[in-house]
Amino acid sequence: MTKLKFIACASLCAGAALVAVSAMAQQPFDPMRPAPNPLAPTLSAPQSGTTEIATDPELGDLPIGVGAEDTYYQCIACHSTAIIRQQRLTDARWDYLWDWMITEQGMYEPDDETKAIVLEYLKTHFSSER
Amino acid sequence: MSDRIQNEPTIDSEAGNSAEPTRRKFLKHTGLTAMGAYAGLAIPFGENLAAFAQGMDESDIMGTKEGLTLLGDRPLNAETPAHLLDDDITPYKHFFIRNNGGIPGTALDMNAEGWTLTIDGEVDTPLELSLADLQENFEVVTRRLVLECGGNGRAYFNPGASGNQWTTGAVGCADWTGVRLSDVLNAAGVKDSAVYTGHYGNDPHLSGDPEKVAISRGVPIEKAMEPDAIIAWEMNGEPVPAVHGFPLRLIVPGYPGSASQKFLTRISVRDQEHDGAKMTGYSYRLPAYPVAPGTEVPEEDMVVMTDMPVKSLITFPQSGTQASVGEATEVRGHAWAGSGDIASVDVSIDFGATWTAAQLEPAMNKFAWQRFRADLTLPQAGYYEVWARATDMNGVAQPPVVPGWNPRGYGNNMQHRIAMIAT
Repeated sequence: MTKLKFIACASLCAGAALVAVSAMAQQPFDPMRPAPNPLAPTLSAPQSGTTEIATDPELGDLPIGVGAEDTYYQCIACHSTAIIRQQRLTDARWDYLWDWMITEQGMYEPDDETKAIVLEYLKTHFSSER
Repeated sequence: MSDRIQNEPTIDSEAGNSAEPTRRKFLKHTGLTAMGAYAGLAIPFGENLAAFAQGMDESDIMGTKEGLTLLGDRPLNAETPAHLLDDDITPYKHFFIRNNGGIPGTALDMNAEGWTLTIDGEVDTPLELSLADLQENFEVVTRRLVLECGGNGRAYFNPGASGNQWTTGAVGCADWTGVRLSDVLNAAGVKDSAVYTGHYGNDPHLSGDPEKVAISRGVPIEKAMEPDAIIAWEMNGEPVPAVHGFPLRLIVPGYPGSASQKFLTRISVRDQEHDGAKMTGYSYRLPAYPVAPGTEVPEEDMVVMTDMPVKSLITFPQSGTQASVGEATEVRGHAWAGSGDIASVDVSIDFGATWTAAQLEPAMNKFAWQRFRADLTLPQAGYYEVWARATDMNGVAQPPVVPGWNPRGYGNNMQHRIAMIAT
């Protein structure tokens, strides 16, 4: 049962392309799009929403990849995946958040192997560094 | 709306271990369905009715809101697009949602029976006040006050900062009715040893651990004793809705919204800076000195965030709206600041190269947002951005870029911009 998001997107995007041609003149740019401020002296721009990534609806729409399932079951005891999917953090911030969730927020502490898998997954998919 | 209904399981299970939610669903469904059946019609504003109905589930809340962007469902967090914040008084349906924990059953059931507010700590006489005590023994006041999440604008920081990625919509301005926090603290008698307040509510921690506190923040005693902070039981003339803190909440205007504890049960006056949940570490704290984006700041160098920065939002027209070349178009919005009143608002249609003063209306009361209006004429066909810049009474204005990066992405008050297309 792998209904991947990119399949739905492929058809949606095809439809959107047709509309875009006629509406191009009026298609407004959003000056407040949630991306880096073009005036800010920043280094790398996270490409939010530009590339569609295959996600797994059975794992809360987390991106498909090594560690997705471990991450899902580790996190959803307290919160939904919505908060994870919004993040783009440095590796150091992910390490900090892991400890914060265990010491302050009562997260279940898994074995070291699971910890490594989950953190690697988070740092891969929800990163400001890559 | 249809999503909400589809998402709800049918009421058929005998549900061994989830008696509470099942009962709530049953009550609500029977109530609305029975009314619909009686009238022979669907109920057009059934969702609005539900905002004040008893026996809601947390998953029902979004159905009582209109046009909000859902950032997270557990915990429930949602923000308001700028053009839906055009009202002088933000109505319930457009008021943003920020939760650190769950919504307590007392709020979902709109059940305030036996509710008490405890005032203790560094006071001469600890108090335990019922809602009636508050309503009868203190002067009742109504104030128009802005509530804004400390992390509003977090989405624009780079590198990203952890937490909900609010863009511009974690703000609203409502009429709050209650009693002055200072009156209640004075009734208890604040000792000279008082330094800070610590606020508590009955919202459950996300882990489900009853020993854990979802959030417990506070403010310096000087801030608490200012006449603007109130303990409120009404929002816009109705009981404070479930998701906004029924039956009692603090409103401490000018500070991050998290200081305005929802579901308020206790205010403990402390002889030190409060160290409750989300007072410490990086929560609602800023580096004590300017740091380069992405810096790992030691915890001991983080200080509690106090006044929210000066800010404005263009609420009309909606970004992307077309206007006729050479004809004046009204552009309007609101401006507010944690320091109090706004001195001026300027607008630009040329990326900040030149600025024009907007008309600025006075605040209804301190910490209400202020309406600004400007008639703008776009000189030739094409793409324009309208930028707004508010300046507070100290001469401090909004920056054109994202201000000082900080690990948790607080206090972004960069100028708001909308697109306008001249045709």
